[in-house]
Amino acid sequence: MAPKFQIKVVQLSRFVKNFTIISVVTLSFLLVFFSKTDYYLISGIKNLSSSVVIPITKLISAPVNVFSNFIDEYNQFRSLKFENKILQEEIIRLKKWQTLAIQNSRENKVLKKLLNATDNNLTLVKTASLINRNDTIYSKLINLNAGYEDKIEKNMSAINERGLVGKVIDTTSNNSRVILLTDPSLSISVKSISDGIFSLLTGNGDGKYLVSSFVKENKMPRLGDIVVTSGTAQIFPVDLLVGKVAKVEKNRFFVLPFVDFKNIDYVQIVTSK
Amino acid sequence: MGFSKFYNSTIKLNIILIISFSISANSFAALPNINNAFYVLFHLTYIYLIFYHYHYYIYLVALIYGILFDILLLNNTGAHIITFLSLLIFFVILRKYLIRLTSFQIIFIYFLTLIILFFIEQLLANLIHNYTFNMSSIFNFILISFIIFIPTVFLFTKMDK
Repeated sequence: MAPKFQIKVVQLSRFVKNFTIISVVTLSFLLVFFSKTDYYLISGIKNLSSSVVIPITKLISAPVNVFSNFIDEYNQFRSLKFENKILQEEIIRLKKWQTLAIQNSRENKVLKKLLNATDNNLTLVKTASLINRNDTIYSKLINLNAGYEDKIEKNMSAINERGLVGKVIDTTSNNSRVILLTDPSLSISVKSISDGIFSLLTGNGDGKYLVSSFVKENKMPRLGDIVVTSGTAQIFPVDLLVGKVAKVEKNRFFVLPFVDFKNIDYVQIVTSK
Repeated sequence: MGFSKFYNSTIKLNIILIISFSISANSFAALPNINNAFYVLFHLTYIYLIFYHYHYYIYLVALIYGILFDILLLNNTGAHIITFLSLLIFFVILRKYLIRLTSFQIIFIYFLTLIILFFIEQLLANLIHNYTFNMSSIFNFILISFIIFIPTVFLFTKMDK
């Protein structure tokens, strides 16, 4: 009786192993399929990853984070003298701009009254701080500590004091994920301030520049021109600062974003009124 | 005694997997290459686990890490999960041929597998998620692989005694 029993156990064990392998492979292919159709399962996994996995990975990588912060502070300390000089020059430049801006603002108010125009201001949804970032390998993403409980929704814009940071692509109850402007899969419709040239910008892949993927009527903006969101795609609110034209080629141009993506601590989630 | 040794090194390798996954899933602005180095280390450890510590539980490991890497780095499932599981299936098919090879040949195949994995991941990310095929990133991974491959293999073999 004993050998017969043993054979049965071996057969059952092999069946369980084969069943596990087949189910794991099937499940993985189903997940790939569901990721494209955005089913409940995938959003559940995303929710779990942002609420459970990210805190755990942050805890495990805490020593590296401390070391990274130390290097960052050391680098900042080393460049203090140089930065001070630049800031002094910038203060002088900004003072000139300030007087001009005050004049323009007064003029603007008067003209608006004459035209009976309404302001196209932004509505602040939430100011959120950064939990962690995944912007080195593959996509350029950051995770924030506010989610749909704070009324953050998909496709809302993320900005900081320098300009447009990115777009919300996922929200969970207490977290949300923002895709940065420098990601090659994100396109933004922009216009140049001086000439009003409309174009589409995408991330260049190097995480530094934005490159034009489409320029309306092939008109190239001038070097140093400031680029803002055009609002034509109705994803980003109009007139958000994006960057400055840094390089112009025959069929495309490069924009250096105003936002320093390496030093983002807080972002504001906004939507147009 | 033998089982205990195997058990201990397997646990150690899995701890390395967890740590390297955690560090590669969190970007550090001041140390961008740390992410890449630990991403390469994760792949090295995973291939080593398959080659020298093959067990059915690795299918589950491949599934979990594949999903998490895809969600955290690409915000979609696909590239990593397919690559990790395909490697496992290929290993099972080709295992009888791998056993006949010399240690030098196996080390060469180990390195080649690592590089091919990076290419396939980029390719699948491009095909499934429209991610731009980034050659500079691939070269960065290859360079890091050249630097850390021998010390890592040495460490792993020491761990296995």
